Amino acid sequence: MKNARAADDSILTDEFLRQLINVGEVDILVGLPTHNNAKTIGPIVATIQAGLLAFFPRDRAAIINADGGSQDGTTELVLNAAIDDVRRGSKISALRTLHVISTQYAASPTRGTALRSILAAGELLRAKTSVVISPESTQVETDWLTKLVRPIYAGEFDLVLPTYSRHRFDGILLTNLLYPMTRALYGLRIREPYALDFAFSGTLGSQFLAQNAWQDETARAGSETYFTLNAIASRARICQSFLGTREHIERRSADLIPALRQTVGALFSSLGPHMALWNASTASQPIPTTGPEREFTLEPLRVNRKRLREMFSTGVAELESVFQAILSPSTLEELRRIARLEETEFRYPAELWVKTIYEFAVAYHKTVISRDHILQALAPLFRGRAFTFLAENRNGSADGVEDNIEALCLEFERGKPYLLELWNGTQ
Amino acid sequence: MTVDVKPADHSWYKRAIIYQVHVRTFLDSNGDGIGDFQGLDQKMDYLQELGVNAVWLMPFFPSPLRDDGYDISDYYSVHSSYGTLEDFKRFLASAHQRRIRVIIEMVLNHTSDQHPWFQESRSSKENPRRDWYVWSDSDTGYPKAGINFRDTELSNWAWDPVSKSYYWHRFFSHQPDLNYDNPAIREEMWNVMKFWLELGVDGFRLDAVPYLVEREGTNCENLPETHAVIKELRRKLDEHFPGKMLLAEANQWPAELRPYFADGDEFHMAFHFPLMPRMFMGVKLEDRKPITEILQQTPEIPQSCQWCLFLRNHDELTLEMLTDMERSYMNDSYAQEKTMRLNLGIRRRLAPLLENDRRRIELMNGMLLSLPGTPSIYYGDEIGMGDNINLGDRNGVRTPMQWTGGWNAGFSVTEPEKLYAPLIQDAVYGYPAVNVTAQNRTEHSLLNWTRRILAVRKSTDVFGCGSIEFLYPANHRILAYVRQLGTETILVVNNLSNAAQAVELDLRRYKGNILIEMFGKNIFPRVVDLPYLLTFGPYQFYWFRLRRI
Repeated sequence: MKNARAADDSILTDEFLRQLINVGEVDILVGLPTHNNAKTIGPIVATIQAGLLAFFPRDRAAIINADGGSQDGTTELVLNAAIDDVRRGSKISALRTLHVISTQYAASPTRGTALRSILAAGELLRAKTSVVISPESTQVETDWLTKLVRPIYAGEFDLVLPTYSRHRFDGILLTNLLYPMTRALYGLRIREPYALDFAFSGTLGSQFLAQNAWQDETARAGSETYFTLNAIASRARICQSFLGTREHIERRSADLIPALRQTVGALFSSLGPHMALWNASTASQPIPTTGPEREFTLEPLRVNRKRLREMFSTGVAELESVFQAILSPSTLEELRRIARLEETEFRYPAELWVKTIYEFAVAYHKTVISRDHILQALAPLFRGRAFTFLAENRNGSADGVEDNIEALCLEFERGKPYLLELWNGTQ
Repeated sequence: MTVDVKPADHSWYKRAIIYQVHVRTFLDSNGDGIGDFQGLDQKMDYLQELGVNAVWLMPFFPSPLRDDGYDISDYYSVHSSYGTLEDFKRFLASAHQRRIRVIIEMVLNHTSDQHPWFQESRSSKENPRRDWYVWSDSDTGYPKAGINFRDTELSNWAWDPVSKSYYWHRFFSHQPDLNYDNPAIREEMWNVMKFWLELGVDGFRLDAVPYLVEREGTNCENLPETHAVIKELRRKLDEHFPGKMLLAEANQWPAELRPYFADGDEFHMAFHFPLMPRMFMGVKLEDRKPITEILQQTPEIPQSCQWCLFLRNHDELTLEMLTDMERSYMNDSYAQEKTMRLNLGIRRRLAPLLENDRRRIELMNGMLLSLPGTPSIYYGDEIGMGDNINLGDRNGVRTPMQWTGGWNAGFSVTEPEKLYAPLIQDAVYGYPAVNVTAQNRTEHSLLNWTRRILAVRKSTDVFGCGSIEFLYPANHRILAYVRQLGTETILVVNNLSNAAQAVELDLRRYKGNILIEMFGKNIFPRVVDLPYLLTFGPYQFYWFRLRRI
C-alpha cells in the first residue's frame, strides 16, 4: 500500500482508490488517523466495530484508516476489524459487509494529511456522516458513535464536537487559551475547538476539503482546529455531545511546541481570513449540548510545577529580544517583573495573560518575525500560565476549576477591544 | 396413457423448472368462477411455450377449503369445483405429451376435521380409527412444540366437545394431526400415494414433513421417528415406482434440513427456505453477504439430491429462518404496512415486493435460475402480477391468473362477483395493464424475457447439476460464482446494487478462456493474468460460458 502509486496531483494512491471503488457508498465513515498506534488501536477499532453493529446495523459503514507510515503493525490491527462474507467474527452478527481500508500516505505523518485523506474518502463514498476518532481515545465506548452521529443523521447539525470528563489539569492549553480565545473571538462556547473525536456532515466535509488551505503547513498541522473554525465561519450548525471520560495522557515537555503549532498556530492563522466574522461577534453564546458541557475529575496528579516556573523565567530572560518584537513594552515589563518573583509569590494573572496572547496573535498576523518563532516563544510564557493555573486550582473543587476557567473566558471577552485596537493599528 | 417423458431419467428433477399453480386460479372452463382441470389443460401450451418442464399443483382434493385445500377430506378424489378424476387424468396426459412432469401436493401431517377418518375417530374412544389421530385428556402435552400459526392459534391442542378430549394440531385447529405411531396410518397414506402414482403423477410435494411424529420433551420437529416414516415411504416408492420424486416442505435451517436427504434415501429434493428471504435482503442491502453466508452454511447433500429454490410461492414470504435483526429489517424494507405481514412473513407477490422494478425482477430471477438447485416459479410472477393485501390470510397472492385485458381477465366468463376471488384491478398491476395477451405482443415484455431466460437455463445442465464456487471480489455488491459440470464452466456475475458498478474478478485459474455472454452470445475479452474488469448497470447480471478456443 505504502508504495502504491498516486497520480501526481492526488493525495489518493491508486490502491486506495481501488478500495474505495469496492466500498461504493456509505452512510457512516469512521476515520482513524494513525501513526504507530499499535498499543491502543486494536481495542479502539473493536469498540468502533461494536458500536456500528449495535447502533447502526442497517447502515452502510466503512472504517478508513489514514496512516502516516506506521512500522509497528498498526494498519494490520485495523484491517482485522473487517466483516464480510469471508471473514466473520465468531460472535458477530452483522447484516452487512463492513469494509475496513487502510491507506498509508506518502507525506510525512501529519494529522492534516490524514484528515484530508479521510475527507476525500468521505466525499468519494458520499458519506452522509463522517466520524473521526483519535487513536489516543483509549476510553472510547460503543455509544460514542451514536452520540456523534445522531445529531447529523437527524439533519439538525453539521458538526458535532465532543465534551469530556477530564482531569482538572488535563488540557491546560485548551482551558487557558484555545477555549477562551475561540469563545471570545467567535462568540460560541465551544469547549473543544481542537477536537480529536468529532463528526461532520458530508456537506461540511466536502466544503472543507475544497479549501485551499491544504498547501499551508500551519493549516496541515492544525487541521482539526482549522476545521472547527471553518465550520464557525461558514455558519455551520454546531453542537456538542458529552462522550464520557477522556484519559489523561502524560505529555513530554518537548510535545508543547508541536501542540502549539497544531492549535494556537491554526487559531492565530484563522484571524486574518475570518476578521470580519470575529470583529462582528459580540458576547458569547452557549451552543446546543447533549450532556454536561464539562466534567472535571479531581484525583491527585503529580506535576513538576517548579520546573514550569523555571522554564518561564529562563524563557523571559533568554528570549528578551524576541519578545521585544512581539510584545508591547508594558506587557514585556510586567513579564520581567513576575519572572523575578519567588515561587510562592509567582502568579501570571489572567489580565496579563490575555494581553500577552492578543499581542502574540497580532504579531503572528503581522509576521513581525518568523511565525514559527512566535509560536515557539509562546511556550515558556504558557508554562508560566500553566504554573499559575495549577497553583490556583491545586485544592479547588470541580466547580471552583470551572469558575476559574469561566473568569478567564470573561477576561478574554473583555480584552477583545484591545485585540481590535492592536489589529487595526490604533495601539 | 401416453407418457412422452423419458421414463429412465431418474434425475429429471435436477433439470426441472417447476411452475407452481393452483387449479382454482388458472382458468375456469365451465363458467362457475373457479378454475378447473379442463381449464388448466387448455393452458398447457402456454406452459410449454413458457419453457417450464414441471408443474406443481396445490391441493385439489375434496376439502372444506378452510385452508385453501390443505385441509383434505378425501385423498382419493378431486374437489368437485375443479372437475373429476377423469379431468385430472386428461390433464396429466396432456402435460406428459408436452414433456411436462406433474408434481402434486400430499398433505401427510393432517386432515380436515371434516374427513370421515376424523369423524369416526372422534365418535368414540373405542372406535377403530380412534388412534388415527393424536388424542389426550389434557392440553399440556408436548409443551416445547412451537405454534406455527401464532396469529390465529393459541395452542397446539384443541378441545373436541364430541369425544370430550383434546386433539393435537400443529396448524389450524380444524386440521387434526394424523398419528404416525399407528402403523395403519402409515399404510393408509402409502395407499394414497400409490393411488396417484398409478395414475401417473411424477412426484409429491410433501407438506409439513417435520411434524409427522410427536415425542414428549422435544419440540416435535425433525424427530428420528419422522425420518423413519419418510424412509419407509421412499423405500416403497423406489421399489414400486422408480423415477418418481419426493419434495420436502420443511421450513428449517439447512443443517436441520440435511437429515431429510439422509443417504439419498429420504427426499430427492427439499425447499431451501433460508435462502429465499436472504436473496431479497441481499438486493435491498446491496450486499452479497446474506446470500453467500447462508450458502456457506448449507451442507453438502448426496449426489442424487437437489435443493429446490423459489422466490415466491402460495404462502407468505416466510421470515422464520432469520435472526430477529434480519426479520425486523425485512419487515421494514418490504412490508411497511402492517397488513402486509402475516405470521412471521410477508404476504406479497414478487413484483410488488420489488416495487415493480423490472431490473430487480430480472436480477432475482437470474439468481433463482443460476444458483444451485431446481427453480420453482409461482404462477403469474412471469408476467409481474400484483397482489391484494386487503384479502385475508394468504388469499391476496392467490387471485385469478390474468390472461387478457378483457372480461374477468380472460379467466372466466362468469359474473365478476362470482369469481372465487376478486381480480387484481389497481392501476399498476390490474389485469388491463398486466396480462398474458398484452405481453405476448411485446418482444421485451417480462413474459418474453422469462421465456428467453428459461431457454438459456435449459440449454445446459450446469445450472441444475453443476458444482458452485463463489468468487469473493472486494466489491461486496457483486455476487459472483462459477458453476461447473464436467468440462463445461459458467461464470455468473450479479450486481446487487441500484447503481452502476465496476468489479475486478480474479479469473487467473481460467486463463486463456474466452467469455461468451449466454443471452446475446457475444464474445468478451480473453482471460489473462490480470484481474478481469467488468462494469455493470444497476441490477445487471451476466451469465458467461467459458470457452477455451
